[in-house]
Amino acid sequence: MQDTPFWPPVVWPAKATEVPKDIFVREDVYREELRRIFRGPEWFPVAHVSEIPNVDDFKTAVVGDVPLLVTRDPAGQVHVLYNSCSHRGTQVETRPYGNKRLFQCPYHRWSFSAKGDLVGCPLQPGDAVNFEREKFPMRKPRTGIVHGLVFVTLSDEAPTLEVFLDGYEDKLANVMGGDGRLKLLGYHKSLLNANWKTYHDNDAWHAPLLHTAFRLLNWQGGKGRQFANARGHRGFESPLTVPDGRTLLSDPSLIEYREGAAKSLEAGSCSLHLFPLFAAVKHLNTIGLRFVNPRSVDETELIFAYFGREDDDDAMTRHRIRQSSNLLGPCGMVSMEDAAMFQRLHIGSRTPGMQVFQKGVKDEYAMPVQFSQNDESPNILSWEYYREVMGFEKASRA
Amino acid sequence: MSARSINVDTLQLIDALQVRYIDALDGKKMPDWLATFSPDGQYVCKTAESEEAGWPMALIMDDNHGRLVDRVKFVEKVWAGTFQDYQTRHFVQRIEVSPADGEVYRVRSNFSIAFTRSDTGRTDVLAAGVYHDLVEVKGDQALFRCKKVLIDAPLLPHYIVYPL
Repeated sequence: MQDTPFWPPVVWPAKATEVPKDIFVREDVYREELRRIFRGPEWFPVAHVSEIPNVDDFKTAVVGDVPLLVTRDPAGQVHVLYNSCSHRGTQVETRPYGNKRLFQCPYHRWSFSAKGDLVGCPLQPGDAVNFEREKFPMRKPRTGIVHGLVFVTLSDEAPTLEVFLDGYEDKLANVMGGDGRLKLLGYHKSLLNANWKTYHDNDAWHAPLLHTAFRLLNWQGGKGRQFANARGHRGFESPLTVPDGRTLLSDPSLIEYREGAAKSLEAGSCSLHLFPLFAAVKHLNTIGLRFVNPRSVDETELIFAYFGREDDDDAMTRHRIRQSSNLLGPCGMVSMEDAAMFQRLHIGSRTPGMQVFQKGVKDEYAMPVQFSQNDESPNILSWEYYREVMGFEKASRA
Repeated sequence: MSARSINVDTLQLIDALQVRYIDALDGKKMPDWLATFSPDGQYVCKTAESEEAGWPMALIMDDNHGRLVDRVKFVEKVWAGTFQDYQTRHFVQRIEVSPADGEVYRVRSNFSIAFTRSDTGRTDVLAAGVYHDLVEVKGDQALFRCKKVLIDAPLLPHYIVYPL
């Protein structure tokens, strides 16, 4: 018996290859996802330390509907705080990024350090019963940092970050240019008119048939491999292939690969998806971390952050800036149409029936274990994990 | 220096260039858009947030003629048939003109761009912001040597097919 308030009940198909379309558009499902997944025992990347490289730098972030504040204290330590005053609960910081020593709540002028300690407030001794500043820090979610990537979980029930990553630490390092020693270049920020699961299911890696650029460049690769695990994480790795851009482009530097100082660490393309919806992509000389968050059942915020490596010289940095600006993202040569397709998937989800996975499927009822480069089947493992987390009962096999 | 001290003929040429630019985009005539740039022209589109923060990346960085030519190919060839098309309407208001160097003028204009999606039929605002242009005026012709588009909103509400 399901213990969630879904009506009508969500009955998951018996076939592992099918996903009910209505889970992408139902408000009741979305509300439960906020509770079970985003406030549940998962870990969420909210920043890379290189986004706040200097003492007193900060950025704000959101996980589900929960506002967070990521800070760097005077000793250089990174902290994640709930972005809420310990007095009456007011949101403390509203700006997306900045640099400041103290965070003051404007309502009653309580001031907090980057560690979240209450360091100043107008209350005087005798104004309140037993008031002690040290009892009123800003609260902190559990936090962990892997290769500079800052994770949080909002649940006390979450396993350790190591258990959550399930052996993917090396893959995480690989997708971040080898060791996670990064330098921020900028962002592509956009809104996607689609459910967050549509993004999760389709971004970072899908069959290249959608992208005319790959066909025009005869850029098909074919020697890559996909991987996926029962924790809902998946990814793709392939040896580097670089087409002859002169066949299409007047300025082929857009798809040029340059060997940097850490060439052994960087060679190859890869993408990584961590459940529920973090993605990272290394393609040619671009290194992108995709901080994604749902805004509603049919709107998703995409913040793609792009990086160079700390040891890049000026020429390499310039190349990465020019390539990152025009290759990927909401205006990118090889990815603009992604958002268009995700929005059409979302609209189509309002029709009855199932989405069906076909390519790479050997047994419709079993969890797949091996994948080729363009298979759809790795996503099946992620959907099974989602089904379990959401408590959806599986229909009996006919 | 205010626009008052700039030759009226020069102002007319600058305004005519801006009209050619928005007419090309609203008419989806990408070769005409390309023709508003000088041979060494550049087009850069980024958010005001990114500019203020000093992040060097852009949403679009067509910083040489080859990239401008490639932008036309993206719209006409690479992306054809993959996106839900939309109709734009650009509204531009010149705010300030000042001499930069010789025949080049610095021009600042506010813009707003409405877009109507073919799938929903709704008209919304795609972007509002400021054009920072370097305009080269030679004889009876003006061309963009550099057009920098700064968008007020930090998040794009929609993917961008046509330059802004």
